Amino acid sequence: MDQAPTTLDPVQGANIYANFVIVNAYDTLYSYQYLARPYLLKPNLAVDFPVVSPDGLTYTIRLKKGVRFIDDPCFAGGRGREVVAEDFIYSIKRQFDPENQPQGAWLWQGRITGLDEWKAAGSDYAQPVSGLRAVDDHTLEIRLTRPYPQLTATLAQGYSALVPREAVEKYGKGLGVRPVGSGPFRLVSYDTARVVMERNPNYRQEPVDLAAEGYNPATQKFSGVQALQGRSPPFVDRLEFNFINESSASWSSFTKGDEVQLTVLPIEQIDRVLASKRPVTLRPEYAARYHVYGGLEAGFVFTAFNMDYPEFGYNPDPERERRNKALRCAMIKGYDWEARNNSWYFGLGEYFPGIIVPASPEFDPALSRASVTRDVAGARKLLKDNGWTPDNLPTVVYGTTAGTTERLFFEQFRAWLRDIGFPQDKVVQKTYANFGDISRAWKRSQLPLVAKGWGLDYPDAENTLQLFYGPNASPGSNDANWKNPEYDRLYEESSVMQPSPERTALYHRMNQIVLDDCVAITGISRTRIYLWHKDVIAVPDREILGGFWLKYVDLAPDSPTSPATGKGG
Amino acid sequence: MNAVTLPMPAATRVRGESLWRQAARKFGRDRLGMLALGVVLAYFVVALGAWLGWWAGGWADLTGTKWEPVSSVHWFGTNIIGQDIFDRAVFSTATAFEVGLSVALAATLIGAVLGAFAGFFVGSWIDEFLLWCIGVLDAIPFYLFVAAVAYALTDNPWAMQVAMIATFWVGTGRLIRGEVIKLRGMEYVEAAHSIGVSEVAIIFRHILPNTGHILLVQASITFVSAIKAEVILSFLGLGIKDGMSWGLMIDESTKEVLAGFYNNFLAASLLMFGLVMAFNAVADALQDALDPRKVG
Amino acid sequence: MEIVQYALRKLLAGLPLIFGVTLVSFALMVYFGPDMTYQLLGKNPTPDQILEVRHQLGYDQPFLQRYLGFLREIVTFNFGESSTGEPVTTLLAKTIPVSLILILPGFILGHVVGLLLALAAAYWRGRWPDKLIMAVAVIGMSVSFLIVIIGFQIVLSSSDGLDLFPVRGWNASSLGNYLSYVTVPTLATMFVALGYDTRFYRSVIVEEMTRDHVRTARAFGLPESRILLRNILKNCLIPFITRVMFSIPQVAIGGALLIESYFGIPGIGKATYEAIVTGDQPVLKAVVSLTAILFVLVVVLNDILYRVVDPRVTLK
Repeated sequence: MDQAPTTLDPVQGANIYANFVIVNAYDTLYSYQYLARPYLLKPNLAVDFPVVSPDGLTYTIRLKKGVRFIDDPCFAGGRGREVVAEDFIYSIKRQFDPENQPQGAWLWQGRITGLDEWKAAGSDYAQPVSGLRAVDDHTLEIRLTRPYPQLTATLAQGYSALVPREAVEKYGKGLGVRPVGSGPFRLVSYDTARVVMERNPNYRQEPVDLAAEGYNPATQKFSGVQALQGRSPPFVDRLEFNFINESSASWSSFTKGDEVQLTVLPIEQIDRVLASKRPVTLRPEYAARYHVYGGLEAGFVFTAFNMDYPEFGYNPDPERERRNKALRCAMIKGYDWEARNNSWYFGLGEYFPGIIVPASPEFDPALSRASVTRDVAGARKLLKDNGWTPDNLPTVVYGTTAGTTERLFFEQFRAWLRDIGFPQDKVVQKTYANFGDISRAWKRSQLPLVAKGWGLDYPDAENTLQLFYGPNASPGSNDANWKNPEYDRLYEESSVMQPSPERTALYHRMNQIVLDDCVAITGISRTRIYLWHKDVIAVPDREILGGFWLKYVDLAPDSPTSPATGKGG
Repeated sequence: MNAVTLPMPAATRVRGESLWRQAARKFGRDRLGMLALGVVLAYFVVALGAWLGWWAGGWADLTGTKWEPVSSVHWFGTNIIGQDIFDRAVFSTATAFEVGLSVALAATLIGAVLGAFAGFFVGSWIDEFLLWCIGVLDAIPFYLFVAAVAYALTDNPWAMQVAMIATFWVGTGRLIRGEVIKLRGMEYVEAAHSIGVSEVAIIFRHILPNTGHILLVQASITFVSAIKAEVILSFLGLGIKDGMSWGLMIDESTKEVLAGFYNNFLAASLLMFGLVMAFNAVADALQDALDPRKVG
Repeated sequence: MEIVQYALRKLLAGLPLIFGVTLVSFALMVYFGPDMTYQLLGKNPTPDQILEVRHQLGYDQPFLQRYLGFLREIVTFNFGESSTGEPVTTLLAKTIPVSLILILPGFILGHVVGLLLALAAAYWRGRWPDKLIMAVAVIGMSVSFLIVIIGFQIVLSSSDGLDLFPVRGWNASSLGNYLSYVTVPTLATMFVALGYDTRFYRSVIVEEMTRDHVRTARAFGLPESRILLRNILKNCLIPFITRVMFSIPQVAIGGALLIESYFGIPGIGKATYEAIVTGDQPVLKAVVSLTAILFVLVVVLNDILYRVVDPRVTLK
C-alpha cells in the first residue's frame, strides 16, 4: 500500500489504510459479502440483519454468542472476555467524546436519540444514552431521531468497531498502536513502514458459503476461491502490510517474488505489463506468474467551484452571477477527461457526468455525456458571448498538496484552460504541505477550486449527493458552498426513504440540478489493477469491502512461501 | 565559540589590484578552468535565451502524447502528460541560474557583512550574538531546517530560497569573521582608525574589499550547493513553487525509472551534472588562482 | 578531574545554544508548522468539533505558554504521545537504533576510504593517481544525493539491473538480512560523501607536507611513507577529528532523512520527516531538542579530544 495508517484506534480510523488493519483486528456488526459486486452487506458479529420497527426508528440487533476478545493483559486473568452489546454502546460513545479526537461522529450525529445530548453533558461514560440500549448481553436496541436508511451500512465501518473498555482504560492513547479486538487477526508489530498481524487462534469458526458471499463462477473462478468452500477463515497465519510511498519501489519489490505477494499495479508499468486493457489481461511473461483483476473505484475525483468566490460563484450583481455561470460551464467544456484518463488512470477509469458514481446502485448510464466531452470551440464561444476576454478573466487558483503528480495535474489543467483562452499567468498553483493543510483551506473556504476525491462510505448515492447539500457547507463536506433550495428539498425528502425506484428518481433529479448549474467539473472513478502471485487465492479490493477480504486470503498448498504468510504491498 | 578555522599560512599576502590581476593571469593559463568557465557561460546563454523567450517557451504546452520516445520533434521525448522534455530541461537551466544566483548572492552578501562585523568587533556582544546564531543554525540539521522554513512560509514562492540563504550564509560568515580578525590588526586599518575614519566605513571601505577573493570562491560554492539542494528539496515536496526545474523533473522521474522510462531522469541529471561539474571546476580554478601561495 | 570540570563548564556554555535551537525550531516547526487539526477531523466536521480538536492539541494557547511547556518537556524528558498514541520515548527507542546501524557503516567506510584515497593522492601529489582521484572526487561532488540513490537502486536492486539486493525496506533480524538491506544505502551514503571527504583530507595533508618539520625529516632521508604516517598524519588529527565529529549530527538526521524516506526504512529520519509533514508536534519537539543536545555534546567531546590528541591545547 502506498501510505501508512496514522493510528489503529477505530475512533480515528478515517483513512482506508487504517481501516484495512482495523477491520481485521476488531469486529464490526456488519460487513460486506466477499465476492458480490455491486457490494452487498452481510451480518458479521450480528446474527442477522437488524429488525426495524415500522416507523423506521427502532433497530434491534442480536449479537453472536461466545465471541471473545483476544487474550490481553488488560482483561482479568489475561484471558479475553466475551464480546457483549455494551461494548458496542461504549464504542459508539467514544466517537462522541472530544477527548478522543474522534473522526466518525458525523455518521451518527443528530441521528441517534440522546447521543448528542450525552456529549453536550460532558461525555460521561457512566451516563446512559437513551437511543443506545443493551436489552441483554446479546441484544442491542438503537433508537433514531428520524429514519436513517444508511444506518446498517455505518455499522460496517471501522468507526463502529467494538472496542473493549478495559483496553481503553489500560492503554489510553496507546490503543492506537496496540489494538485489542475480536477480529480474525491480532497485531504483532506496527511502524510507519510495516504492519504485521498474525491469525487470531480463537477466531470464531464460520465456514465459508460461497453462494452467500456472492460468488460468480464466470468472473471469479480464475482466482481459485472455490477452494475456500466449507472452510473457516482466517486461512493465513500471518499478514504483512508494507507501506511503500514510491510505486516504483513497491513494484520491484513485488516482481522479485519473495517480498510482496499482492500489489496494485503502478500506473507507469501499465504498458509493460498489460497485453490489453479492456478486458484487463497480462502479457504472457506476467500472466504465467500473476493473477490480475481490474477493480473500479467506489468513489470519484472531481473539481468543485467554490461558490463563495464572487469571481466564479455567487455575486451580488445578478448580471455578473449569470456571466460567472457561463464561465464555469466553459471551464467544464474545456476540461479534457479523456486525456486525464489516459495520462493517469491507464485510460481505464470511467468518467461520467454528475455526482452519482458508477459504483452506486443508483448510477444512471443513460445520462448525457455532454458535460464530460471536451468542446474547446464551444467553450471559447461561450466565453466570448458572455463578454469574457483574456483581460477580464479572473485568476484561477488551483490548490493541491505538494507532490509531482499533483503538480502535473495542475500543468495539465493550465494547458487546457489556455486552450479556451486563459493567459498562462492567470492559472496558478497553490501548494499545501500535506492533506491536513489543504483540508484546512477547503474547510475555511479559502480556495476557489476544490479538486478532491471522495470514497464512498457505503454503496448508496446519498453519500455523494450530500457533498452538495446546502447545510453541509464549509466546514462541512459541501466544499462548493453551493446552496440550491430545490436540491436541498429533494435531499431532505430522499434522505429518510428506504431504497426504492422513487428514491432513485429523486437522486437523478438532484444530479441533473448539479449539472445544470455547472458547480463542478465531474468526475472520474479510477480503476485499480490488482496483481497477485499465482499461489495466492484471493479477490482483492480496497474499496467498500476494504480490509474485510483479508481473512479469506489463502495460499495454494504447493506455495513456496509456506508457512502461510500473506504479504501485501 | 566553536568556530573551527583551519590553520592558515602565515605568508603575507600581496593585496589590492595586483592580486586580482595576478589571479586573472593565473586563471587564464588554467586550461581546465577556462574550459569549465566556457561551459558555464554556454549554460548561461541557454538560460538567458529561456528568460528572453528565444527558446523553450513551450515547456508548459501539451505538444505530444504520453511518454513519446526520442524523435525529431521531441528531442528528449515527452513526459506523462505530453510535454516536451527537451523544452522543460532547457527551461530548467534558467531556473537553476535563478536559484543559484539569488541564493549565492544573498547568502554571500549576508555572510560577508555579518562575518565582517563579528570579526571587527571580536569579543563584543555583536560577535557573541552572531556566533550564537551561527551555532544555532549549525546545530539544526539542514533538511530539517529547510523543511521547517519552507512549511512556515508555505505561501511564499521564495520559501525555498529563503531557507537556503538562511543556512548558507553561515559558512561564508565564519570564514570572513576569521579573515577580518586577522585584517583588523593590519597597519593600514589601524592607520584609518587613528585618523578618525568611522568603524562602519573601515569595514565597508577597507576591510570587506580585501576579502573579495574569499567571497568569490564562497559564492561559487554556494551556487553549486543551491542547485544540488534544490533537487532534494523538490523530491521532499519543498522545491520550486512555480515553473520548472531539474529537481522537479528528477522527482517526476522517481516514478518512472523503474518502469524503464529514463528520459526525464537522464535529461535533468545530465544537464545538471554538466553545470555543477563545470561550476565546481571553476570554483577550484578560482581558488588556485586567488591563492597567493601558489606561484603564478 | 580537570577534564570533568572543563566538560561541565563547556556543557553549561552550551545551554544558550540549546535555548536558541529550541526557540528557532519551536517557532518554525511547531508554531508556524503544519496544523494537525484537519487531519484529525472526520469527513464532515462541525465548527464545534474543529474547536474541540484545536483545544485538544493545545493550539489555542499563547506562544509563550506553549514554548515554556516545551522547555518543561525537555527538562523532564517527557514528550508525551505521538499522534499514533505511541509514547514519543518508545518511538525514539525504536527508531534511533535502526538509523544508527543504517548510517554507521557508510559513515565509517566513507571516512576511512576518503582518508586512504587522500593519502594516496597526497603521496603521488601532482602525478596521475592524484589527478585521477581528484577528478573522480569532483565528479562525485557534482552528482546530487538523490540521483546517486536512484542510480544505485536501478543498477544494484532493480530487475532491470543486477538485482543483487532488496529494492527497499529493512530487516535486521539476522546478519545476512542486515547486510543485504544495508548495502545499497551504505554505498549511496559513501559515494556522496567521498568526494568532499577525499578533497578535504588531501588538502589538510598537503598543507601539512609543506611544513618545515616535514622538510627537515625529509632532509634526514626518512622514507616518505614513514614521514606521512609519523609526522604528517599525527598533526592532521585535529582537523580530521573536527571534520568527523561535526558531520555526526548532520548525517544522523539529514542523511538518514533522505535515505530512510526513499528506502522506506523505519528510522528516526523517516519518523522526523513524517512528523514534519503531518505536524506531529510531540515527535518534532523531541527530535529537535535531541539534535540540539547531540550537537552540544559533539562540541564538548571535540574540545576534549583536542586535548587528548594535542596536550599543547590548553583547557582554557
